[in-house]
Amino acid sequence: MATTATPPPAPKVNRIGLPVLDYRGGKTTLCAGCGHNAISERIIDSLYEMGIQPERVMKLSGIGCSSKSPAYFLSRAHSFNSVHGRMPSVATGALLANKTMMGLGVSGDGDTASIGMGQFVHLMRRNLPMIYIIEDNGVYGLTKGQFSATADLGSKLKTGVINDLPAIDTCALAIQLGATFVGRSFSGDKKQLSAMLKAAIAHKGTVMLDVISPCVTFNDHEGSTKSYKYMQEHEEAIAEVGFVPHFEDISVDYDAGSTFDVRMHDGSHLRLHKLHENYNPTDRVQAVKALMEAHEKGEVLTGVFYIDPEKPTFTELLNMVDDPLATLPQERTRPSKQVLDEIMNRLK
Amino acid sequence: MRQSFAIGIGGAAGQGVATPGDIFAKIFSRRGLHLNAYNAYQSIIRGGHTFLTIRTGPEKVTNMGDRIDLLIPLNQDTMDRHLSLLSAGGACIYNADTIKPGTPAEGVQLCPLPVSKLADISKNKVAQNTLAMGAALSMMGVGFQALESVLAEQFRKKEQAVIDENVNLARTGYDYATQNFQAFPHPLPMTDNRYAVLSGNAALAMGGAAAGVKFYCAYPMSPSTGVLHWMAEHARKANIMVRQVEDEIGVINMAIGAAHAGVRAMCATSGGGFALMSEGLGLSAMAEIPVVVIDCMRAGPSTGVPTKTEQGDLWQMLGAAFGDYPRVIAAPLDIGDCFTLIPEIFNIAERFQCPGIVLCDLLLSEGRLSVEPQALDFNPPIDRGEMITSANGNGHGEYKRYLITESGVSPRAVPGLPGYTHTVSSDEHAEDGVLISDEYTNTVKRRAMMEKRMRKVQGIEASAPPPELQGPADADVTLIGWGSTQGVIEEAREQLAEQGIKANQLQIRWLVPLHGDAIVGILKGSRRTIIVENNFSGQFARYLRSETSFLADGHIRKYDGEPFMPHHIAEAVKEQLAGETTLSIPAHEVMV
Ligand SMILES: Cc1ncc(C[n+]2csc(CCOP(=O)(O)OP(=O)(O)O)c2C)c(N)n1
Ligand code: SF4
Ligand SMILES: [Mg+2]
Repeated sequence: MATTATPPPAPKVNRIGLPVLDYRGGKTTLCAGCGHNAISERIIDSLYEMGIQPERVMKLSGIGCSSKSPAYFLSRAHSFNSVHGRMPSVATGALLANKTMMGLGVSGDGDTASIGMGQFVHLMRRNLPMIYIIEDNGVYGLTKGQFSATADLGSKLKTGVINDLPAIDTCALAIQLGATFVGRSFSGDKKQLSAMLKAAIAHKGTVMLDVISPCVTFNDHEGSTKSYKYMQEHEEAIAEVGFVPHFEDISVDYDAGSTFDVRMHDGSHLRLHKLHENYNPTDRVQAVKALMEAHEKGEVLTGVFYIDPEKPTFTELLNMVDDPLATLPQERTRPSKQVLDEIMNRLK
Repeated sequence: MRQSFAIGIGGAAGQGVATPGDIFAKIFSRRGLHLNAYNAYQSIIRGGHTFLTIRTGPEKVTNMGDRIDLLIPLNQDTMDRHLSLLSAGGACIYNADTIKPGTPAEGVQLCPLPVSKLADISKNKVAQNTLAMGAALSMMGVGFQALESVLAEQFRKKEQAVIDENVNLARTGYDYATQNFQAFPHPLPMTDNRYAVLSGNAALAMGGAAAGVKFYCAYPMSPSTGVLHWMAEHARKANIMVRQVEDEIGVINMAIGAAHAGVRAMCATSGGGFALMSEGLGLSAMAEIPVVVIDCMRAGPSTGVPTKTEQGDLWQMLGAAFGDYPRVIAAPLDIGDCFTLIPEIFNIAERFQCPGIVLCDLLLSEGRLSVEPQALDFNPPIDRGEMITSANGNGHGEYKRYLITESGVSPRAVPGLPGYTHTVSSDEHAEDGVLISDEYTNTVKRRAMMEKRMRKVQGIEASAPPPELQGPADADVTLIGWGSTQGVIEEAREQLAEQGIKANQLQIRWLVPLHGDAIVGILKGSRRTIIVENNFSGQFARYLRSETSFLADGHIRKYDGEPFMPHHIAEAVKEQLAGETTLSIPAHEVMV
């Protein structure tokens, strides 16, 4: 019987012609079932779907299991694993020196809310164009499961130790400090997390996403408030997140009474379908109030809490030259003759 | 002996000591004279004692010297503390209404100004300062025109009436002195030279601009804040990104981030801030990202004496961050050298992709010096080392950021260059930047990477020159100093020479690389060696011993907050040559 060779089907590619393989990273060495792995998957999908050139991305992280995860996505991007809690300033320096790069930061709850708190709050104030993801498991995974500063009051470690201090809500803080896109999601909520990540890519200022990401090894038991089970029982979405990228046709109708349509800076649309009474994602006070109320009720509120798509970013405010400082030719790295003469005259 | 003339102006902080200081400095430099200014002050904004010494002369003035020729006390406290500094031939100009003179030494002229008779003090609070300046210049034999034009410049942002009022006051003081006081025997000389007068902090900042620094960040800390001020003031015009950051941990990491992206990044701090930077310094070493950190030393430990000088941070620099790694450490020898050193250390730090540390101190940072304008070369060579700057056409190549090479230097590409994407990390890594201690630790790779980094040490050694002996080869004693003591040791040697003692000097500028063999080679030929340093434990002496086993014969140390004066060193040398001691700790004669 004659066989006709059928050519293998061409790999599926995205709008810039790259297969999803080009968005993958090294093989993960994190525990099987770790929430961080699921987040890496969502990052891969969303960068692929948005058609981001991998080489334009600068991955940045601190130290922790979460901070290791940039090795497990987007191998074709630049990457900087800095020191514990210090990624915000490394990111600020790097992105000021080269504002054409897209900053994608991955941190942990310990890396951010414990050792890195000082750096974190100042990053939020800057509205630096970057995405900052906290992979939040309520413990220090890499140092074997001690409580971090996002662990809820009264939650219990495997050893029976009870957390005696209240949790820091990184979302409430970020909103108050000036981040312009703030939300919380859950590593197990594929649909919501993907939509939020894609919207994050479309946003021009600081995006702060706190993603609850259970640590299966140290914090997934009864009594933990960051376990899969706890999240399944207590997750409460403030709104359903829909995202239509700028390169797609926006035809689907929506009900203006129950849905906020936010036009983003690049022309994409974020469609937030209200699930809560007083939800208004452009009102910071409302947003913080909703977070505090949910907390009182013992719910883990998720969704996009606050967005301001047009607030000028740090690099816009600094009024920088168009070319990245990092690649200016040598003639342009020193002050001009005229400026030097002026300086010298004032010394005489 | 060098011909020089020193004025001391003192008062409470907020009494306006700085303005007459600036005005005298301008007049001296426009007369073609050299000058050196040192301000002794306290960590307080109002009240507290400030005492400014400005020393001038036709030859280079490298330090504040030993004596004051003219004292201008603006309050009683200054009169009481400093009158004893005047010796025969000296003079003291003061407000006779508010200050009672003490008993001066023989031959000191007291010059009381009847301020309330000469000026309307209800209108002008600092009338006494302006009157005193006028009087002083008359006694120094400087024509009034010089003062008039500098005053007009000083107050150029004010209305004409303010300028006129000050000029008139100065004139009154000038004329009163001409009629009532005895002029100094030698009028202030004049030359055709023209110098630039600048502080060490301005020089450090300008050196950065000359080196092509594009990113400067800092958190304010005395005595380094002046660098930030210069940078902030000139940021726009000089096109430098200048950021004030929340703390020094942020500072160092931000500088590293910027340097990683490809710019030359610099920051400055003092001991306490540097302590916070220590972990970041290790990151710079591990990730092989060059940054230059300036440490302006002040008296420690802890908050210490914020406004006083010391050379007490050497071991902090030598031991900063954990683990072994290549670093460069240099101490500028004077204010002009603050400028020159920055481009030099940047070139070495970038060629060897490691941190560079500049060990400056309060004495230089906040002091001011006249410098030949040509010495401020804004076009020094820039060597950025092995940098890959053009893309290889691939999207994602086989680039190895930490390629193992014989020199230990791996050609560096910056993010954004297609074909050269890479990972940098604070964890130990393989040639491609991927960490090696994830599932198991690869000891072979760890060793290879450690050796690669440490091979850079040889290259660093070769790129900085060893120190050279200054002064006569055949000397009774060799004085060894480092950094800012260059000038004061030099003048002490001159004083010794006048007393028949021949001294030469070995001044250390590069602390790492030290060039221990060369140093020992030089010192082997010395009859006697004495190490002079501004700290308690002899930090350099201990360092030299640990690197070379060299033991000096004697030590001169000072750790009271004030810098050495030439006679402190000269007298200590004499007592050591007489066999009285091997450790001299000169006492500072006045409380400032
Ligand atoms: C200065 C410093 N202190 C402590 C550590 C040890 N350490 C490494 S990771 C970590 C906690 C990480 O927790 P988190 O950021 O929540 O990440 P996770 O592992 O939970 O994802 C700690 C304490 C360190 N690397 N550096
Ligand atoms: S220890 Fe916890 S956080 Fe770390 S990889 Fe395992 S599951 Fe994830
Ligand atoms: Mg954690």
